[in-house]
Amino acid sequence: MKRKNVTVLLVVVMCCLNVFVGCQKQKSEEVKTVSKNDVSDKKILEYWTMWNETEIQGQVIKEAVDDFMKINPDIQVNITWCGREIRKTLQPALDKKEAVDIWDEDVERVVKNWGDYTLSLDDYVKKPYPTTEGKAYEECINYNLMNLIKVFSDDSTLKAIPYQAYITSFMYNKDHFIDAGITETPKTWEEFLVVCEKLKAKGHTPLTTDDAYADALIGYHLSRIKGYEWVEELVADESKAMWDDEAVLRMAEDYEHLASQGYFSKNIDSNIWPAGQQEVASGDVTMYVNGSWLPNEVLGTTGPDFNWGQFSYPAVKDGVETIGNLNFGSQCYAINKECEYPEEAFRLIAHITTGEWDEKLAASSMGMPSSNDANWPIQLQEAKGVLENATEWNPYGCGISSNIDLAPTIISNFQKLMSGELTAERFIEEMKK
Amino acid sequence: MKKHKLPIILMFVSPALLCYLLVFFYPTIRTTFMSFFNIKNIMDGVHKWEFVGLDNYIAIWKSDLFVQSMINFIKIWFFGGIIVFVIAMLMSVILTSGIKGKSFFRAVIYLPNVVSAVAMGTMWIQYVYNPKYGLFKTLFEFLGLENLAAIKWTTPDNIFWAMLIAFNFGMVGYFMLIYISGIERIPATFYEAATLEGANIFVKFYRITLPLLKGVIKTTLVLWTISDVGFFVWSQVFSMLNPVPGTVTPMVYMYQSIFGNNMIVTDRNVGLGATVGVLLMVIVVIVFALTNLLIKEEDVEF
Repeated sequence: MKRKNVTVLLVVVMCCLNVFVGCQKQKSEEVKTVSKNDVSDKKILEYWTMWNETEIQGQVIKEAVDDFMKINPDIQVNITWCGREIRKTLQPALDKKEAVDIWDEDVERVVKNWGDYTLSLDDYVKKPYPTTEGKAYEECINYNLMNLIKVFSDDSTLKAIPYQAYITSFMYNKDHFIDAGITETPKTWEEFLVVCEKLKAKGHTPLTTDDAYADALIGYHLSRIKGYEWVEELVADESKAMWDDEAVLRMAEDYEHLASQGYFSKNIDSNIWPAGQQEVASGDVTMYVNGSWLPNEVLGTTGPDFNWGQFSYPAVKDGVETIGNLNFGSQCYAINKECEYPEEAFRLIAHITTGEWDEKLAASSMGMPSSNDANWPIQLQEAKGVLENATEWNPYGCGISSNIDLAPTIISNFQKLMSGELTAERFIEEMKK
Repeated sequence: MKKHKLPIILMFVSPALLCYLLVFFYPTIRTTFMSFFNIKNIMDGVHKWEFVGLDNYIAIWKSDLFVQSMINFIKIWFFGGIIVFVIAMLMSVILTSGIKGKSFFRAVIYLPNVVSAVAMGTMWIQYVYNPKYGLFKTLFEFLGLENLAAIKWTTPDNIFWAMLIAFNFGMVGYFMLIYISGIERIPATFYEAATLEGANIFVKFYRITLPLLKGVIKTTLVLWTISDVGFFVWSQVFSMLNPVPGTVTPMVYMYQSIFGNNMIVTDRNVGLGATVGVLLMVIVVIVFALTNLLIKEEDVEF
């Protein structure tokens, strides 16, 4: 009897499930038909992005795209949220001629790695768009960033459009500067030493870094003395004879001096990223050379009211570089040269990178806006000046990391130099081993 | 009769054989083939590959970073192996000696294997080794061991050992379980007879446990080598953005060759990564052959 009941119950459940699944199937087929009819008349743009849907940049871009589709009902934009995996997935997709109309990633990768697949945008930037207030697009965007893309390009054409720019500079706690009576940011190494001394006198630890960003310090310093091309030669020199150059000794002595004066955090040699940047975020240390994305990265610790400032790495006496030599870059948009609707694709890029959405993206991510007349987040007000005053582009780490085989050894020995474990001479000896 | 059996044998063997050919044999052959080419992108078609002969095999030995990664690999295998095997063996002998709460202790020691390596590594770096408020610092200060409390565990000179301690902490439980199952297979009568003969615990260990565990030790040696070959996550956690000399391993070098550096855009050579893969495979095969050659199992049935 019991078995019979169970069987009846099972049959009833199965019938219900069948009806339910049947209805669902019919319903989804209806939806499919409707949406197919809707989409068939639309121009479809496939957009692959380096962001994840959950990231703040991803969220703002999604809103901007939705807004774009509302304004342009004849265009359908399909976003594929690749995240940083796009570095591995985009190339094969382009090779297989998959429909990818627009993509975004770091400027160097987009132009150098995928430049052959992109549409030249020189003609498109000469036109006005709804968000450029009658001006040509190129007049609205930071000149340095647009120019950088042409510099990277093999044929000097504009292969991409920059957005979410960054600079690598000293990021500092302005409240500490005010407390120490420092009214101006240092422009020379001598001024920098005065700043460090004033901070120390007021009980602030002037400097820190992490294993991951220590190369920016040594790279900038050597580059200020001799230029980044020389730094690239230095790390490529297999004989290691160039490490005997006076410039290396001078850099090492300058940092030995900083160590001997007690300007570095006590943990400078044991800071594994992100420990060092957390020292700045928690107010224990004042300065750290990092990308301008730092305020966003440590927001959880600092809160929104942290008083951030930025200044370019100081110039050194008789050095070849000025504070105008700067490492800067951006994410950027590219359009596939096979794209069926390039005009519409560029209109979407203009929609995101100028006007309302440009400012929203910058404000939400504490990043730099693309257009010249946009409001900058308060945390990056000084970075605006640093970028505008940039005269020359330097690569990340000013070339010190360009030999990836040697870079770990350089960083390791440099950490020991900053901690006082190595003298300037010993640093050079270790590098020549 | 034998002829009739062949189709049945083939039918039973073919699923496993097919899986082996597809999942292991084909990738092995392809990776070996790739190691003779310069390949820019892992998804590049064969027509884009540039034949370089043995250049990749020469290039890896000219790379300071690769040589450093091999030194780390050997140090992990040797020092890590001694630490893990000695502690795991000690724990397994203690836990099979009839102590109370065996299941509890076994579960506790095995627990780190259940937690993700990324979470474990982060815990070690951010909490245990932290020079401001870390577990080691506060513990040693509490015990009055100021010199030990002052150690900065993650400096360039110490980071290798810090990583090895953290890695071994997780691995002990895994090998302990294998040894426990091996020891429990040894009949209790052997130990009873030895006890009646007056053997103490050390004699019983050296004369009964160790000889009868030779087969298990052989297996664990190969397993340990394989886990050392695949040493990647711990390196990544202990130097998240860039490799450092203390944490780089062949697998990290291979990843960097194939997918490029995290911070800057660099030339990639998938063939170089494949070369590292081939080399690691050869190492595992050699260790397997050597353990078979050197460790002879006792001809005892039990």
